[in-house]
Amino acid sequence: MKVEIAPTNQALPPKAAAARPSKWRTFYRKLRKNKLAMVGGCIVIFYIAIALLAPFIAPYDPYEIDLVNKLKPPSAEHWMGTDDKGRDVLSRLLYGTQLSMSVGFVAVFIGAFFGIILGLLSGYYGGWVDTVISRIIDVLLAFPGILLSLAIVSALGPSLFNVMIAVGIFSIPVFARIVRGSTLTVKKLEYIDAIRSLGANDFIIIFRHIFPNILSPIIVQATMRLATAILSAAGLSFLGLGAQPPLPEWGAMLSNGRDFLFTAPHLAMFPGFAIATLVLGFNIFGDGLRDALDPRMKQ
Amino acid sequence: MPEQQDIILDVRNLQTHFFTEDGVSKAVDGVDFSLNRGETLGLVGESGCGKSITSLSILRLIASPPGKIVGGEILFKGQDLTKKSEADMRAIRGNEISMIFQEPMTSLNPVYSVGEQIAEVLRLHQNMGRKEAWDKAVDMLRLVGIPSPEKRATQEPHELSGGMRQRVMIAMALACRPEILIADEPTTALDVTIQAQILELMKKLQVEMGMSIIMITHDLGVVAETCDRVAVMYAGKVVEYTTAQNLFANPRHPYTVGLMNSLPRLDEDVEELQAIKGNVPSPFSMPVGCRFAPRCPHATELCNTKLPELLEYADGSKVRCWMYTSEWDGDTKTATEVGV
Amino acid sequence: MFVYITRRLLQMIPVLLGVILVVFLIMQMVPGDPAVLLAGEGASEETIAKMRTQLGLDQPIMVQYVQYVANVFQGDLGTSLRSNLPVWDEIMARLPATIELAVASIFVTVVLGMIAGIISATKQYSAADITIMVIALLGVSLPSFWLGLSLIYTFSVKLQLFPVAGWGTWKHMILPAITLGTAGAAIVARMTRSSMLDVVRQDYIRTAKAKGLRETVIIYKHALKNALIPIITVVGLQFGFLLGGTVLVESVFAINGLGRLIVDAIRMRDLPVVQGGVLIASIIFVFVNLLVDVLYRYFNKRIDLN
Repeated sequence: MKVEIAPTNQALPPKAAAARPSKWRTFYRKLRKNKLAMVGGCIVIFYIAIALLAPFIAPYDPYEIDLVNKLKPPSAEHWMGTDDKGRDVLSRLLYGTQLSMSVGFVAVFIGAFFGIILGLLSGYYGGWVDTVISRIIDVLLAFPGILLSLAIVSALGPSLFNVMIAVGIFSIPVFARIVRGSTLTVKKLEYIDAIRSLGANDFIIIFRHIFPNILSPIIVQATMRLATAILSAAGLSFLGLGAQPPLPEWGAMLSNGRDFLFTAPHLAMFPGFAIATLVLGFNIFGDGLRDALDPRMKQ
Repeated sequence: MPEQQDIILDVRNLQTHFFTEDGVSKAVDGVDFSLNRGETLGLVGESGCGKSITSLSILRLIASPPGKIVGGEILFKGQDLTKKSEADMRAIRGNEISMIFQEPMTSLNPVYSVGEQIAEVLRLHQNMGRKEAWDKAVDMLRLVGIPSPEKRATQEPHELSGGMRQRVMIAMALACRPEILIADEPTTALDVTIQAQILELMKKLQVEMGMSIIMITHDLGVVAETCDRVAVMYAGKVVEYTTAQNLFANPRHPYTVGLMNSLPRLDEDVEELQAIKGNVPSPFSMPVGCRFAPRCPHATELCNTKLPELLEYADGSKVRCWMYTSEWDGDTKTATEVGV
Repeated sequence: MFVYITRRLLQMIPVLLGVILVVFLIMQMVPGDPAVLLAGEGASEETIAKMRTQLGLDQPIMVQYVQYVANVFQGDLGTSLRSNLPVWDEIMARLPATIELAVASIFVTVVLGMIAGIISATKQYSAADITIMVIALLGVSLPSFWLGLSLIYTFSVKLQLFPVAGWGTWKHMILPAITLGTAGAAIVARMTRSSMLDVVRQDYIRTAKAKGLRETVIIYKHALKNALIPIITVVGLQFGFLLGGTVLVESVFAINGLGRLIVDAIRMRDLPVVQGGVLIASIIFVFVNLLVDVLYRYFNKRIDLN
């Protein structure tokens, strides 16, 4: 048996190796051609740069209180004005980028990590494992919108860290369902059978052979999910359940600015604009990724 | 050739091109034929030869952009359809000229009952009320041989078989008693026994209603069974235009001959089909000379460099081939062999 | 169809039990002893012990869960710590406003989204199409609470066309419904566009043209009804986000609905109300999903065979 299969074994890796670079190259070419996606990518890169450079480019200390100059409209000294405690809104926004970005990435990482594991197990093993995991996914998806995160935060107590966990859990079923579907498709491919007949164990098959093949939908989903996560986290902070004062989290800043909507509307407008553009960036970049990676994957 | 007043549809030098990113596709590039009252004309050729585009051009159903009728005339009862307004065309479609399509499975709207889909045409063109149109729709279903038409009319397309659906399509097309029915591969998607029934039905209704039919097909069997005259199309042009009788008795154009040879015959013990070698030329880059030259067994220098005209011969047949002209520079024996 | 609905109703039971379990477990994560919390600050050991027995907290966790499920099915969601009223009554008092808001918003989502999507699809690649699609991209990305505040600032404060907050008349409804419905409208618009573009390529649209029907009849009668099928699913999904979104929008517009009840309860650490509120909202969503599935199946049965 072994002797017969050996040539197949040798034939497989070079074929796979040859296919991969060209696949990524066509993907890159398609993405470059999609102008909207490039705009999205630029917005995302712009915000990542701000998050990294905030300490160097912020004109003021984001926590420095200056009650003499409170609630000042935008001016030459304070481009986005000052808040009710005289803090520079622009500096707070720049530092807030770090918070929104980390919440987004951590939450999506949590969601993707557990979602991918559940999805792989469910799709690969089928049977009762699939039944149990699918039921869990169904139940988690039965909670409308951010209510699941809300319930979790209410139990854990309000804090930015708990928001990350809550939004992460809220993302698990979404990843699990997509990974499960893709795994079912890839599992049926002939070469998976070939590898199994070579004696590869389940762990190797799942993580070396199935996982790399379902990366495209995961990447697309993660990008889109970043937008949702940032939006949800900002929403929870807006409700006072996330970042606590004096943290310059955008949602919390917006919530604070809301009390001065009549007298100093800029306090609510700038953080809202920041959230909207960052989320827009992730959304259109994700759209472009989806079109470039797999045009059939339209939801 | 028939008298002038018998002609109901006269297509002259029709050119329909598609303007795409990759260039201009000359799908129909100078097509001429005419259709007489009460006769059936076959439009024959391989897929991609432009026969479907020709028929869609007649009804002006070419999607624009990218498609456009760039030249020629389509004279219907003496009036040029290419110059009609969209509103005038709508009054003709489904009323004076109707069309049925290849895929009865997908050509009916899945979310409306078949009765409603027939009644809709009647309400539109015959100003009938709901009740009257529905009753007429049921009559039409009966006419096309659908059993218990009252019940069938209330059903949706997915509840009917393929053959039934094509009967519904015919009922819909003929509801307003059109003068011309364009049938685009009406039996291709159907079982052989159903094919025969549908063709029989069309012939019967043609006699009853006195209409003309343009039968678009790649199946010479269908031509033999239904057509009075035939226009053979190749790469956007008519290459042979003659009576069905002539076509089978005395095919002239080498392409027609090729088609005949690839037709399986039950009475002959042929081991393998003699298919035509090579491929249809790309509509983006047509050969300079005769479009069939690259695949033609008799092609000469002349064929490769100069496009032949569609010329009429003594028996009324028209052929677009150098072999039958005095300018032919090849072996005359070949021409004689093929039958002049 | 009847068999299908029955089967779906039966399938809902484990999902509902699961939802109750998740809510139950989340509340188990609350740090501290709920009996102490319920008895209030400075209660005696005796009172706390009595409270514990009364709440069944001395029972094993499985027993507590079964008891909780039994209570839920009898409409007993416990007692609010703040008002001492049954949680069920509190929720029912707040639910109408939320349902009104949700219905008004889904109306915005469906009507606005579909009209925009149809315009986009029929005028593909035109200036109108591009504008609509850019607005749709923005619409999905706008934080609803920010959109709400911006609308209040523009239409209530500056133009004084609508009341700043509250609930009751149709004038109160407009801004919240737009706020909550916009993201959904954007998604429905994109879905409608792609679905319509898909449908107009179908053979039966060519048939409709060959019949001599006018463009508007073809689009609104023949194409739209077929394009609806994928749109229904999207609208169903949107309803979930919308229900969750009421939390934010009710907070922005100071509407006394279920969402605001939950948020206030979280602030007051009134856990039975949070638990009950989340549970009721989820149960409503589960039933809406069932309705969407039935509708989908009703429209889709004709397509199945093709």
